[in-house]
Amino acid sequence: MKTNLTCEACERELTAYVDGQLHRSVARVIEDHATSCARCGASLAIHRAIAAHARRLPSVEAPAWLEDRVVRTVTRPARLRALWTRTGAIAASISFAVTVGGIAFWPRLAKAFGLPDPATWLVHAVETGLDVAIGAPKRLALDLAFYEPIARQVWLAVRSLSDIPRVVILALRTPDAMWTGAILLTLGVAFYWILRPSRTHEGGIGHACLAL
Amino acid sequence: MTLDERELVRRCLARDERAYRELVRSYQVPVMNLAWRITGNADDAAEVAQETFVRVLKSLHTYDPNRPLRSWLFKIASNLSLDLIRRRKRRPVALEDMADEDGPALEAVDPGPLPDEGMRLSWAAERFAALVDELPEHYRAVLYLRYREELSYEEIAETLSMPLGTVKVRIHRAHEALKRKLSARGNTT
Repeated sequence: MKTNLTCEACERELTAYVDGQLHRSVARVIEDHATSCARCGASLAIHRAIAAHARRLPSVEAPAWLEDRVVRTVTRPARLRALWTRTGAIAASISFAVTVGGIAFWPRLAKAFGLPDPATWLVHAVETGLDVAIGAPKRLALDLAFYEPIARQVWLAVRSLSDIPRVVILALRTPDAMWTGAILLTLGVAFYWILRPSRTHEGGIGHACLAL
Repeated sequence: MTLDERELVRRCLARDERAYRELVRSYQVPVMNLAWRITGNADDAAEVAQETFVRVLKSLHTYDPNRPLRSWLFKIASNLSLDLIRRRKRRPVALEDMADEDGPALEAVDPGPLPDEGMRLSWAAERFAALVDELPEHYRAVLYLRYREELSYEEIAETLSMPLGTVKVRIHRAHEALKRKLSARGNTT
């Protein structure tokens, strides 16, 4: 059967042909071409041999420890959880039993060890608790009473700072202040003019001042 | 997914330790061999296989029962193996292997001498395996899945999460590379 298939196109499909992954009609075309073309026929033989050898590639056995290690890793968290749950349950039971026993037998135990009456302990504990509960707000109120006047003075001082610019402006607007300012300005310009260092005044007062 | 697999997965989800063992026993050899083919080292392969099973058993609740369990295992194993190789950068990838595999097909290669020129098509298994080991890892992976595990191209594409065309090109290139290597080493004289 004659086809228009080129050797390059045939070569590209040979692997899929060997693997049986081509449609029957395409496979027929490839087969016909490979039969009629010596080069493609040889190539097909090589691809078949490669596939056959690849099917017989050596393999390795899984190590004996794999199964155990996987199972241990996967079940470890569950085991740990179970262990914690069991330990927690035992600890809770023991503490409950000790508490109940302690409450039930406390007067006898206290008497046996020569301790004061547990009822007075309870009263004392309540008193201490009330002292703490009342004492803390009381201390806070005292602190506030102490620091409040100081804070007020500081606040007034800060507020008075905002008046300074206004006072300065008012002071400068008087005729005396304006005259004084004009005189000082004139004197400043005059001094600069006399003392300024320049090439035309080499050896002048300005240079002498700079040299000093 | 077969009924047996479904039952096995159900038991594993119920934290049945015997089911865990059964699952590992059923798939440890193919998973180990896929990892071995990709990493090229039995110790690394064992490490990958262990991690694969641990991950699978821990995330079994996310598994889609409509997909074959084997494909899922292979997918995780191949990803872990490639990650391991990337981390170790054991084998630099040749420029020719970095070409776009979804692009146009390769240029036609010289098919080499013809059979009547004295070609031997029977090679020693060890020599052939050594040549396969010289291929880039992604070629070794597709070769193993295709010929040892006998997965179809579609199954390989699904397993390795790649387009069907890429699988086809990779297998073809792996064949061509082996053919070139066999010619170069005088196995075809």
